[in-house]
Amino acid sequence: MIALLRYQAAILLRSHRWIFPLILYGLLVAVSDEGAVPLAGGLDWSAAMLVPAVALLTRSMVTAEPAAARAVVAAACGPARAQVAALATALGAGVVLGLGGACFELLASQRPPGHALATTLGGGLAVAVVCLLVGSAAGAVCNFPVLRHPGVTLLSTVTAVVIALVAGISPAAAALKHTGTGLAAGAGPHWPGLVPSAAAACLLASTWAVSALAAARRG
Amino acid sequence: MHHFVTFRMRLPTFAGINSGPLRRVRVGYASRVRLEAVGKRYGARQPWVVRDVSLDVGPGRLVRVSGRNGSGKSTLLKVAAGVCLPSAGRVTGRPRVGYVPERFPGGLPFSAREYLLHMARLHGLRGAAGGRAVDEWLERLGAADYAGAPLRSLSKGMCQKVAIAQALLPRPGLLVLDEAWTGLDQAARETLDAAITERVADGAISLFVDHDPARLAGRASQRWQLDGAGRVTVAEGDNPGSANTAPESTAPEATDPETTAHEDTDPEGTAREDTAYESTAYEDTASPRVVVIEVAGLEAGSLATVGGLPGVLSCDGPAVRVLAGYSDDVLRALLAGDGVHVASVRPETGPPDTGAPDRAAADRAADTGAADRAAQR
Repeated sequence: MIALLRYQAAILLRSHRWIFPLILYGLLVAVSDEGAVPLAGGLDWSAAMLVPAVALLTRSMVTAEPAAARAVVAAACGPARAQVAALATALGAGVVLGLGGACFELLASQRPPGHALATTLGGGLAVAVVCLLVGSAAGAVCNFPVLRHPGVTLLSTVTAVVIALVAGISPAAAALKHTGTGLAAGAGPHWPGLVPSAAAACLLASTWAVSALAAARRG
Repeated sequence: MHHFVTFRMRLPTFAGINSGPLRRVRVGYASRVRLEAVGKRYGARQPWVVRDVSLDVGPGRLVRVSGRNGSGKSTLLKVAAGVCLPSAGRVTGRPRVGYVPERFPGGLPFSAREYLLHMARLHGLRGAAGGRAVDEWLERLGAADYAGAPLRSLSKGMCQKVAIAQALLPRPGLLVLDEAWTGLDQAARETLDAAITERVADGAISLFVDHDPARLAGRASQRWQLDGAGRVTVAEGDNPGSANTAPESTAPEATDPETTAHEDTDPEGTAREDTAYESTAYEDTASPRVVVIEVAGLEAGSLATVGGLPGVLSCDGPAVRVLAGYSDDVLRALLAGDGVHVASVRPETGPPDTGAPDRAAADRAADTGAADRAAQR
């Protein structure tokens, strides 16, 4: 699996497929920062913007290999494992983006004093993790090989990202809302909440399974 | 009695081979690949591409897969190689797989060598071993000058060489080739033929599709014919030019001059045989990897039992073809049977039923023989 991840990471880096998601994420994070917002709000925004960024990274990764190269890797390692490696590589790149976003917010936002900083940062990163999982799930289930037509995959990815950020049933939206209300109340730890976290993990596992199974079936 | 003496005289030669470098190659190759009621269709409402295919292929088999365009050859190969799951049934016993796809367009952001290094790692070849295997195969296929060139810039033939190199470098136990010869120059085709023969002699299974019926003519030990409705019929032997599926013996018949020589009671003839064989064995270790054991008195009921022993390639009564590494075990099993006499044991001097044994031998000599001799120096 390590060799597979290394191979996929090399494809991501060398193919420059990371550039568009990086620019998009950078713009989205930077544009929110009109004047100095409180750190908690900034972290929530940069976490939310991870959803489209990771969905696009996932879309890039699952279409990076030509079919023949994919078949060769599938014969060597199994088609499902190869697919999971591609998804995991996109998720890993999303983690890097998320850390970058958090660093930016630390520098640019109004930091709360003392121990509140650690709590705020921890809560913000936890929300970012939920958003990463949801973004990866959206990317996995809306793209190759689950859906195949390029137009359909792009439209469905955008739709899934919007739903993930605004619909009440989305773990990402729930996590963001949870911290949002915490902020508004001005009290309590700003954690994403147990239910959205667990739901995001389940969503990720099920969508990756669907994607891996589709890869194994369709070859 | 004479026959038994002949056998005793020859045994040390084989014992010497079994303790040699050949012992290494049988690891991982002993498995039989089984397709059990395999069916494949690309979607629940799509027609079956292959259907209800049950096949069992043992080590050391070279299988020609034939059928007209669209009959499901590529799909069958993909399912066998594990590129995709069957829609019905299952495939078991698959060893390490090398797969050469129909077309390999490159398109990855690597140089040829970088790509092959990644593939070596995926196959479990780490560090210097992977690098050596990659360089060796680039060299053998005549692609060493393009090792640093980006895959995107390579010609079709050069890309095909990269695809072949990635399949061969892990020494796969199952080698699946889907029209792998397309776009190759003559030298690379011959290298590929030799490499396949070498893998099969090492005990690997190889399945191949090629539209040229002369491809590996005489070397295939089995043919899978797809009928266009997704069904497969199996024919022993290799008669690619005809649709006739009558089985052909895979073992040399009694008319083979080799066999006749063994039945000669002249002890000098026997001695010449041994000498010839030993020189082959130690100068070119790639050659004598298949051993033919000739037996008398083997009952029809025991044929299947003997055929199921590890390393046995075929068993048609008077002749049992067995991988060299397994010959001792198979001999022991044969001698344990009542009324079974071992008439002779000898190396197979060429692929069975081949029309051009000289060419095959030349291929092998040019192939591993040269490498082995170089290593011995």
